[in-house]
Amino acid sequence: MGEQQNGGGTSGRRRAHPDGLVLGHVSGRASGPNVALDDAALEALLSAAVLRGHRADAEGEQRAVAAFRAARAAGAHRARTRRRDDWRPREPRRLALSVKTTLSLFVASLALGGVAVAAIGSSGTSDAPDGGDKVRPTPSAGASGRPAADPSAALPGATAGKPGHPSTAQDAEAKCRAYDQVEGSGKALDSTAWQRLVTLAGGEDKVAAYCAEQLARAAKTVPTKKADEGAATGNGQGPSGKNASGEGAGEGAGAGAGEGESAGEGAGKPDKAEKKD
Amino acid sequence: MHAHDGELSAAVARAQEGDEAAFAVAYRLVQPGLLGYLRGLVGDDAEDVASDAWLEIARDLGRFKGDGAGFRGWTATIARHRALDHLRRQKVRPRASALESDVLDLPGPNSTHDQALESISTESALELIGGLPRDQAEAVLLRVVVGLDGPAAARVLGKRPGAVRTAAYRGLKRLAQQLGGAGVTDDGPRTLGESK
Repeated sequence: MGEQQNGGGTSGRRRAHPDGLVLGHVSGRASGPNVALDDAALEALLSAAVLRGHRADAEGEQRAVAAFRAARAAGAHRARTRRRDDWRPREPRRLALSVKTTLSLFVASLALGGVAVAAIGSSGTSDAPDGGDKVRPTPSAGASGRPAADPSAALPGATAGKPGHPSTAQDAEAKCRAYDQVEGSGKALDSTAWQRLVTLAGGEDKVAAYCAEQLARAAKTVPTKKADEGAATGNGQGPSGKNASGEGAGEGAGAGAGEGESAGEGAGKPDKAEKKD
Repeated sequence: MHAHDGELSAAVARAQEGDEAAFAVAYRLVQPGLLGYLRGLVGDDAEDVASDAWLEIARDLGRFKGDGAGFRGWTATIARHRALDHLRRQKVRPRASALESDVLDLPGPNSTHDQALESISTESALELIGGLPRDQAEAVLLRVVVGLDGPAAARVLGKRPGAVRTAAYRGLKRLAQQLGGAGVTDDGPRTLGESK
């Protein structure tokens, strides 16, 4: 391997260093372009150089063996192993590592568990009582400025501070759309979600009518399911959208109520806007 | 890790059962590296210190638990303690001679790189290593001469593996500079004196 590297930043940690030039020289000669072998070549060289000078000393060996015999005779070899005498593969270290890992996993599970519990809480409160609330389950608006379309008012306090959860209106719409597709096809309608829909509609035979009404209303107020804020303002209901963002910012129920009043009939929009927050 | 670790493991195991011939085998396998390490620590007194260390090794062999690689680490720890005792008694620094004298031992600047590396003597190598800062010298010796891996060397030195790895890396880098600088004439301003 007569070739020499110039070491000019080819690869590896060494090359990042200005001194890589010389090292590359050394290793290039000894071990080719592989940076990982740089150390190995140098180490082999040093090792060979140091050990080459060793000459067997029979005298030292005899002394050591004599000491071994004496210790064996004295029973010293039955002595207890101290911590510093235990050089078995690193169990304690691995154990310590695993303890650390376990601990962090535990902490992570706590955090995730908290999120899950919070999610459960929010869905429980906004889903159940909001029955026919097609357009806005937001607490403050529900408390005051609720249009007539919201007969089953949400509890203002209970749902406060849970933006981001799909409104019941959307739930109902979604279920209705799905209902169109699965109606009459087996046990899908036995599930809890369908039972809830049936309850909302006021009976199994009224689901179709209920859904037709829901979908028609949705089509009227919201052009698309996934209406974003841009769509909301484009719908000519800018003011209510602004109000909605104000509520989404986490104001108390009282303040939200006032804004809800001013929002008036633009009920559908605040909900959408808040969702995006 | 080391070429003879399997053989050493077997020898140590038999020695722990009372086989003195096996103990002699272990001695022969371990002593060269141990002595090289001690030379780096205490210079010419290495053989005396090694002798003391082997008395303790022979006495405490029954306490040891581990394989061949572990035996190298265990014996290096014992040897190091004996060396530090020795140095404490002597009240001298463990550092080998100053680097300036090493320059004289190395091949002249006109020799080629290859010649510089191949002709390095045991004394030159040990003095080069001894010219490193203490922690780097020990890390390099334990790794290169004794044949310990990073964690084992760290345990011998009572330091964190990362610190020992860094020390060995820096020491080897410095040695590479010195060896390279000795043989390469067109290598710019770097010289042995500066690289120190």
